[in-house]
Amino acid sequence: MLKPSLAIVQKDLRMEFRSKESILAMWIFSLLIFVIFNFTFEVSRLVMLEIAPGLLWVAFIFSGMFGLNHSFAVERENGNLRSMALMPVTGGSIYLGKFLSVTIIMLLFETLIFPIFVIFYDLQLTATLFLLIPVILAGTIGFTSLGTILSAVSVHTRNQQILLSLLLWPLVSPIIIWSVNLTSMVLAGEILTNFLPLLIRIIAFDVIFFTISFMLFDYILED
Amino acid sequence: MSEIALHLDSVSKDFGRIIALRGINLDVQPGEFVSILGRNGAGKTTLLNIISGISTPSEGEVLLFGTDPAASSNKSKLAVISHEMFLYSNLTAVENLEYYTQMYRVEGMEDKISSVLETVELTHRRFDLVSTFSRGMMQRLTIARALLHDPQFLLLDEPFTGLDQHAIAMLTTILKGQKAQGRTILLTTHDLHIANDLSDRFVVIDKHRVVYDAAVGALGVDELRSRFFSAEGAQS
Repeated sequence: MLKPSLAIVQKDLRMEFRSKESILAMWIFSLLIFVIFNFTFEVSRLVMLEIAPGLLWVAFIFSGMFGLNHSFAVERENGNLRSMALMPVTGGSIYLGKFLSVTIIMLLFETLIFPIFVIFYDLQLTATLFLLIPVILAGTIGFTSLGTILSAVSVHTRNQQILLSLLLWPLVSPIIIWSVNLTSMVLAGEILTNFLPLLIRIIAFDVIFFTISFMLFDYILED
Repeated sequence: MSEIALHLDSVSKDFGRIIALRGINLDVQPGEFVSILGRNGAGKTTLLNIISGISTPSEGEVLLFGTDPAASSNKSKLAVISHEMFLYSNLTAVENLEYYTQMYRVEGMEDKISSVLETVELTHRRFDLVSTFSRGMMQRLTIARALLHDPQFLLLDEPFTGLDQHAIAMLTTILKGQKAQGRTILLTTHDLHIANDLSDRFVVIDKHRVVYDAAVGALGVDELRSRFFSAEGAQS
């Protein structure tokens, strides 16, 4: 099952690194968000620290939406999504491949944009900052596990981007809100007792979203 | 007696109130080359989608090599060539074929890719991006892609659309070669002359039903055209 999934990842990453279309667009979009908010509002560092976690996740999620749309737009080209349905592989394998490639591209983009965020918002590089790694990982996986299947659903429609937003936002909101809360704790250097339970809750959502999507993907590929 | 390649029993398909197919009965023997003819909207592509397993019939039974067409074992026996290329334009010819060999678990990837590229005369362009290919070259690569896993059953959905004379001649030669190797082939086309040249049997679909099913030669091309494809024929 893993071999076809890895073939999809290899194909997607090969195309992405050749064109750099998704990562560049996501990076520029996020940079714009940081620049606009940093230079438009003259607020104290304290206030800025309060809004920074939200800004970081706005940048991640809006850019992630672009990545998701792009990932399935290339499958629509030349009927490739139909060709996937004709292959002797399970829908789960195809889902896993697309999920992994979208997640890798998004994590790569997040790694590239995070240093810019640190510079713009003058964050202190303390040991607690490393706690952001599991938070970003869990939040991103939740977003991409659900986003991958909903992107496959919406790719057949004329208003792909609108439909994806309408389907994805209500379902992924809890994960985003919890991720913002956890990021606030880490940036403020105040790791509260509910840090771990909240992180576990996100991971539980990730597992549920991934499992359901994995099992249902065969039906998405049907005509 | 060898297992029948394709069996359709009273297959109907509708999309809500839109009728696509009505009571289609069709048997195809292994090694047979059948051309399905019909006007636009007759239901030819819907029929091929059902046979390939990506669409399910509203009614009736479809058996491909005795089992459900959507079964994984059947998918490795099947190849679809249509006017949709199933290619990634931002990958080279070789990268596209590598991807398909991995998805179809083809043994001896490099040799197989070299062989199919040679068959479609694209060896010299193997490392070029598909986005730089002409329509004819893309269709030739599509044929290479379809032959990679040695399919037993070829489904061809108007594969000659938009091809130049050289590409048509090449595709015709390849299909004759595939037929000689015993592959079962189902072709939908508007071109009666090509169908006449290649096929063992004609099936005509009109108004979502099979209206004619006979061996090639039972009716001449001109008679077929006047009966089923002329304006008067359509009225009757």
